[in-house]
Amino acid sequence: MKTITTDKKIRLYLCLSVALLLPVDYTKFSHSTPKHRAACNTCHKVPSKDWTKTSSFPDITDYPSHDACVSCHRPQFFRSARPPICSVCHSKTSPRDEVRYAFRNPASKLQFATEFPHDKHQDAIAMLRFAHPPQGYNNCTICHGPRTATFKAAPTDHGSCFNCHWKSQEPVAANCNGCHKLASAPYVRAQPVRISAKFIHDGGGDKKQHVAECTTCHINITKSTSLRGLKPDVPITACTECHNKVGTREDLNKELLSIDKNRSFTCVYCHAEKVGSLDPPASHYLIAERAPLKRKDVK
Amino acid sequence: MRLAFFTVLLMVTIVLAQQPTAQQTGVLRLRVRVKADDAAPLKGLARKRFFLIPGTLEQNRALVTTIEQQPLTTRDCYYKQHHASAQLINWLQEGDCESVYCRSIENEFVTGPKAVPEFANAFAANHTEFGNDVIALQWLTNYLSPDLRDGFYKDRQRLLQTLLKQSGMIQSVMTDQKGSAYFTDLGPGTYVISNVLPAELGQTLVTWNCEVHIKPEDLATEKPYLISNRKDKTVKCVGIEKPKPTCAAD
Repeated sequence: MKTITTDKKIRLYLCLSVALLLPVDYTKFSHSTPKHRAACNTCHKVPSKDWTKTSSFPDITDYPSHDACVSCHRPQFFRSARPPICSVCHSKTSPRDEVRYAFRNPASKLQFATEFPHDKHQDAIAMLRFAHPPQGYNNCTICHGPRTATFKAAPTDHGSCFNCHWKSQEPVAANCNGCHKLASAPYVRAQPVRISAKFIHDGGGDKKQHVAECTTCHINITKSTSLRGLKPDVPITACTECHNKVGTREDLNKELLSIDKNRSFTCVYCHAEKVGSLDPPASHYLIAERAPLKRKDVK
Repeated sequence: MRLAFFTVLLMVTIVLAQQPTAQQTGVLRLRVRVKADDAAPLKGLARKRFFLIPGTLEQNRALVTTIEQQPLTTRDCYYKQHHASAQLINWLQEGDCESVYCRSIENEFVTGPKAVPEFANAFAANHTEFGNDVIALQWLTNYLSPDLRDGFYKDRQRLLQTLLKQSGMIQSVMTDQKGSAYFTDLGPGTYVISNVLPAELGQTLVTWNCEVHIKPEDLATEKPYLISNRKDKTVKCVGIEKPKPTCAAD
């Protein structure tokens, strides 16, 4: 059996003493606290009692009721006129004011990561039969609607999930853990990096030739079992099959030639300045059937 | 002092030299073009999943034989066996759909002459719960019986998992509208490309099992690897066709 040295014992006692002396910050709520890791429906009810006030569909639209907190935190609840614990949900900590932050509070960090297997959904939906609406087939736009003139949006609520996963089809609405996994630490969702910032999904001239089945260009979506590591991978061939055809249009060739003449030339046809001033990747030269070149090597 | 410095430098160099370098990977650009029958035009085979199984055809002989010989319940037969109404089968056929998730279910399929009885019942069940026409229509599939909702998909997934459970790391991709797909990040070597579950094509079932060799320098810019059910000098993988089996529910 392992024995703990005196030195280690002292350090352990010191840590415990510090931990015990430090006041708990009840203004912060964490789902990772052992007692907060109970089944989701211990506190959250699906749908919320008054969902019709803020949502067009049954959903969790509000914080859990007071019972969820008081069952363990009675002392903190009645500590003072303005108990700090109230500020987790309430924007004003007063017994006479019920006003709460929006649920979920957009100012707080995310505590759960969302699991979404694109491959399974691709098997069932995500079909584009015709270039023009209404096409009647379910496809990626169920979740990825237009956000701006250029890029598509990612879902921010349960609207598109519950159409199929409200009940019966697992993971169902009451099985939060089927999609939401506790993250190792709170985080802020990173915005996707845009390489070809000038691409317009609904563009492509009068014929709107950019309107295609999403997986025609986003080639890794149909094999993605999870959101982890998922990038909106688009190979340059997806662009150059139209944009770099000798005799018709040579958008790529032209810009590579411009770099040959001026190493400071910024590629602007597809890219914003930040990306367009970098060295073109080897794939671009490969398409142009040329050897890769660094700007510093341009004479 | 100088000796010690060079010794440390040498050790660092050796350690760095022994670090595994990132393996170069290749890409397989797939294009599947088929004819439903001799009179039909050659068309891209849309929305079919293809699998890349590590190893040669010989190494995967047992699996390939099983794939080629396994009995398959066709889509229409599955729904007949599970007592789907003629209207539902027709609704699926119209859209070449394998499940109810494929098309949006419009009002005309809930009430009126085109109504599908299963949809009408599911709509009514939801309406009883929430009393909202929009939600009842949008959430309709939640109230269908499991067999008709996703039973066909689940049956096929079970079959796939049974067949592929001993085949190591397998990548799968689905073809797009034009019959194209890309396998990316492939380690160099030999693979078997297969659709594992036969594709229903007109009155036949088509299975592809072919050997492909991936080199690290294979890129997305390569000419596509052409798959078809018709022989041609450009076709690298020709499928085996069998007539659709008769359905016991007919």
